[in-house]
Amino acid sequence: MDFITIEKANNLYWLGRYVERVFTCLKYYQLTCDKMIDQDIDCYKDFCKRLDIPDIYEDKVDFSKRYIFDEDNFDSIYSNLTRAFDNAIVLREEISGETVAYIDLSRHLLGSYKDEPIFIQILKVSDYINAFWGSVDDTVNELPRNIMKVGKYVEKLDCALRFDEDDEMIFKAETRMLNRVERVPILKELDLPETVILNRQELSELLYNINESFEYEV
Amino acid sequence: MNYDDLLKNEKSMNEMLERYGVRFGIYKNNTFKEQLFPFDPIPRIITKEEFDYLEKGLIQRVDALNMFLKDVYTDYQIVKDGVIPEDFVFSSKGFLPECVDFVPINDIYAHIAGIDLVQGKDGKWYVLEDNLRIPSGASYPMIARTLERKISPKTFEDNEIVDNRNYAKMLKETMDYVNTGGINVILTPGRYNAAYFEHSYLAEQSGSVLAVPSELTVENATVYYRSADEEKIKVGAIYRRVSDEYLDPLTFVPESLIGVPSIMTAYRNHNVGLINGIGNGVADDKGIYYFVPKMIEYYLHEKPILNNAPTYLPFYEDDLNIVLENLPDLVVKDVSEAGGYGVVFGRDMDEEKLAEWRERLKKEPRRFIAQEVIDFIDLETNEGCRKADLRAFVLSGETTRVWASGLTRFSRNKDSFVVNSSQGGGFKDTWILSR
Repeated sequence: MDFITIEKANNLYWLGRYVERVFTCLKYYQLTCDKMIDQDIDCYKDFCKRLDIPDIYEDKVDFSKRYIFDEDNFDSIYSNLTRAFDNAIVLREEISGETVAYIDLSRHLLGSYKDEPIFIQILKVSDYINAFWGSVDDTVNELPRNIMKVGKYVEKLDCALRFDEDDEMIFKAETRMLNRVERVPILKELDLPETVILNRQELSELLYNINESFEYEV
Repeated sequence: MNYDDLLKNEKSMNEMLERYGVRFGIYKNNTFKEQLFPFDPIPRIITKEEFDYLEKGLIQRVDALNMFLKDVYTDYQIVKDGVIPEDFVFSSKGFLPECVDFVPINDIYAHIAGIDLVQGKDGKWYVLEDNLRIPSGASYPMIARTLERKISPKTFEDNEIVDNRNYAKMLKETMDYVNTGGINVILTPGRYNAAYFEHSYLAEQSGSVLAVPSELTVENATVYYRSADEEKIKVGAIYRRVSDEYLDPLTFVPESLIGVPSIMTAYRNHNVGLINGIGNGVADDKGIYYFVPKMIEYYLHEKPILNNAPTYLPFYEDDLNIVLENLPDLVVKDVSEAGGYGVVFGRDMDEEKLAEWRERLKKEPRRFIAQEVIDFIDLETNEGCRKADLRAFVLSGETTRVWASGLTRFSRNKDSFVVNSSQGGGFKDTWILSR
């Protein structure tokens, strides 16, 4: 169906953002964990700072577990998956039960104790997320899919800026994002740059404006 | 019947049900929790002959109930003719004065009826309840069958079972029949409703739009779905899963936050079909249940095919005396409760409680019915033999049809007769044999 209510547009956008936040943060989390082995045992502090989340962790061991699994920690991967699920569950008929299932599976995977390396568990979550986007491409109509992808690339670009990625990476993320923004009629009022911009301050403002177009965080 | 392969794959089946979020919500201590609806792989099997009999009886019953609803909101001839005392109609909580002198599109009030039946040890089927407001539960056997066929195709090659995956199509046809030219919408109170899984699953399967009340608006007595780019899309039919009293704050409970203001005006102007109609509660009142066989004779001039459970109305003095005398052997039900609530068994009461209840029945005879406890058959489950009922779904559109399946709920407590999911019951698939 090619019409979407404001409520659903919000859900789609935030679903895209939260799913991508989980996916991208898991990637940075792994880099951080690797550094903590023998380079900098406190580098999780920098990770928290970049994401602008409170450093509530006692040490690297505490961080490596609680950042992933802690359901009482608002910023954990588990909590982000729960928020993704909260948006997905109200979109079943829009994105299909099959697509919703991948988020639910990820959440359950992290929500129940398993005696296996954290790496294996988060690898499975990443696999589910890849399958989720495959299912989105396969089953979701153009307009809702584009809104989800706006959320996805806004998050990707936001993370790239926070982790100070190089220009090539920023260029790629921004191009993908703009490509989707142009296809969403409710974003037509936005003042978009005529060419890709690499000024990080301007990019942050652009992300802020896109966010504002989606009334509220669900 | 051979279903060994299905039993062998029970674990996979449960994993799949979990994967697809087959859950229902419950509130405990003011906290919303979702839990899996326990599934038992041993099917309930109904022969073709049995189903043919049930089908005839259910169609007859629902047709009479629809005629009753039209009658009580227009001429109330059945009351004038003394078949049903007016106390049971006009004082019913489900009777809505706002619906008087109004007839819905195509005269249909109960488009989707959920009729609860049990089978006695004598083999006879008894109707326990008629649910004509917003009966839920069809989605569970729908998805269970879909998954069973994937997990154990052999079971469905070896047995000749009527395919039940047509419910969404039947639902769509039912909605289309009263659609006034616009999209079909399933209206849900929201994600924290106990039956939210069902709302979203039925929307997905029937191709309807799932909407929360804030997504609908009424202008010039017409219902619209508001798109984000301010386009208004006309709504032709709404399968609403919001109770009557909360559906329109301008007509019913003004504090309702889950209603659509003025939807009643659109409904009364025949600008939108509402499934089910408003005011059906008067016909599924447990007090009215007693009179359904009489309704069938009155409207259809036929003998009722299905039996009611033997029921007494304390409202009638003779019945009250029987109830007071035989209370330890009876089950008493509050006519305004549902979901297994307000049900008490005389056999569970001590002398003090019995005396208390006798007084209560004398004081509020209209509020309760009493029924003989039917010794209904136990069904085999993986947890042992358990009491089970069957909710049959009857859809009224161009014709009245019975879905060749149903929701079989069983008690997970060995000694309990209460099968409701909200009280811990489980479910199993219902096979209707094709020959």
